[in-house]
Amino acid sequence: MSTLTPTSTTAPVAAPTPTPAYRLSPRGILRSEWHKLWTLRSTWITLITASALVMAVGIMMGSTYDGDDAEIDTVVFTLFGTQLSQICLAVLGILVTAGEYSTGMIRASLTAVPRRLPVLWSKAAIFTAVAFTACAVTNVATFLTAQIWLSGTDKALALTDDGVLTALLTSAAALTLLSLIALGLGALLRSVPGAIGAFVGAVLILPEVMSMLPFGAVETAIRYFPAQSASALGSVARVENAIAPGTALLTLTLWAAVIIGAASVLLRRRDV
Amino acid sequence: MTIRAHGLTKRYGDKTVVDDLTFEVLPGTVTGFLGPNGAGKSTTMRMLLGLDAPTRGRATIGDRAYAAHPAPLHEVGALLEARSVHPGRSAYHHLMALAHTHSIPRSRVEAVLRLAGIDEVARRRVKGFSLGMGQRLGIAAALLGDPATVILDEPVNGLDPEGVLWIRNLLKSLAAEGRTVLISSHLMSEMALTADHLIIIGRGKLLADTTVERFVRDSGSGAVKVATPEAGLLSELLAGPGIQITTDTPGVLDVRGTDAEHIGRTAAAHGIPLRELTPHTASLEQAFMDLTRDSVEYATTTTAPQPEGATA
Repeated sequence: MSTLTPTSTTAPVAAPTPTPAYRLSPRGILRSEWHKLWTLRSTWITLITASALVMAVGIMMGSTYDGDDAEIDTVVFTLFGTQLSQICLAVLGILVTAGEYSTGMIRASLTAVPRRLPVLWSKAAIFTAVAFTACAVTNVATFLTAQIWLSGTDKALALTDDGVLTALLTSAAALTLLSLIALGLGALLRSVPGAIGAFVGAVLILPEVMSMLPFGAVETAIRYFPAQSASALGSVARVENAIAPGTALLTLTLWAAVIIGAASVLLRRRDV
Repeated sequence: MTIRAHGLTKRYGDKTVVDDLTFEVLPGTVTGFLGPNGAGKSTTMRMLLGLDAPTRGRATIGDRAYAAHPAPLHEVGALLEARSVHPGRSAYHHLMALAHTHSIPRSRVEAVLRLAGIDEVARRRVKGFSLGMGQRLGIAAALLGDPATVILDEPVNGLDPEGVLWIRNLLKSLAAEGRTVLISSHLMSEMALTADHLIIIGRGKLLADTTVERFVRDSGSGAVKVATPEAGLLSELLAGPGIQITTDTPGVLDVRGTDAEHIGRTAAAHGIPLRELTPHTASLEQAFMDLTRDSVEYATTTTAPQPEGATA
């Protein structure tokens, strides 16, 4: 370090080009968020763990199947691991936003992009693309792997069979949208533990508790909550006591939009 | 580009952290932003960058709000007091992520890493960086966009003496290139060596907006203590316009308005023996402390006296 500094003081701002064409652009901000995502170990750890959990549970379910769970939908049965991977993906979503506040990185990010909103929206866009791709690939691979054992049973299905690919992809969409809600909660609460607590408490546990209330209206309303909407997806057969898959996808998208919208309003107003 | 603050005010609840601050920072000079800890320096700098919204007043850089520039990093490079880096990312990737937003090429990232003297550790995660290395990374980030204006909050914090010298030279050469340089510090002695202009605040209020030269002169640090048996004769010989001579003890003179060399030559030319000839230099920090201590007293009265040199 010390050997370099004396020479560097003579040419303090070594501009490589005389007139640099530096300019803030939406494309640049997307590239920046892409770069940020892949240069942290936590991204690799959460994504690999999420995929490994789905694959491992899928192999376990397939290899130990003895024909007595006939009433369970094959894709739901194969992708039981998504119940676990959901937490990993939600944590990644939270780290993308709240992680910048806990480390102070947000001050650098918002100094580079002082209009602020493009940062949050680029984060959401990059995260959605990455999470959906990872989930879709994992789901298809897990399905095909599990079929090695299931091919001779009543759960034998081909990828090309009616509704199978749709179920695998809507499962990926459900996971992605729920994690996007977690990303929004991270931006709203600006705290990693706070947002994880809010996601697990309000999104995953609270509706379960509310469903115990003896009111029909509450029961109907709960079907439109994020986690309950998600459970209507990722199944070849229509899920009982749940809203229609198309409605579920729309509902989840609206939930994510509302939470990211609220986070956007606060991002503009609050001091960093 | 000129930095301007117009009546900048920041309140948290009923606590006023920055109180009606108006000042200008001009290109081509190093301006020191000085005040004791908690005076509101960091808050003011965050308001200049739009990270904190002012309660009242406004801040502009080149006659626009910071956020209104099409290439903010090319207009202003900033080092904030608090660390603004993800510790899990390497220095190189941290800068590269910021560079992407403005389509700044990799060669520029490598250039600022070399300039800051951290190119050899650039691939290591910031987690393991010392305070000084972290500070150098912050300075590299500030210079990334080749900015016309540089705003650095306590840049010498955590730097070793060699690093302090490096930053001093760096700031001077940035100003010499016509850039606007604003640096905060709570150390008057550091500012006296680096800055040309001074903006001094205390409790969020402007106390002085002056040049270092004038502050040094006004603070009385130009005084020279002379001890001689011929005090009366020497006083007569030295007397002239702009020269003040006072005596507290017989045979000891306190001379202002001229330097030790002139006094020594005058005495020698007339064969006057001198027992002591001492320029006072240590009183600069004292003058700063007097000024900022007064600000605490002013804050309790309703009519704040205008300090000398203030142009608010």
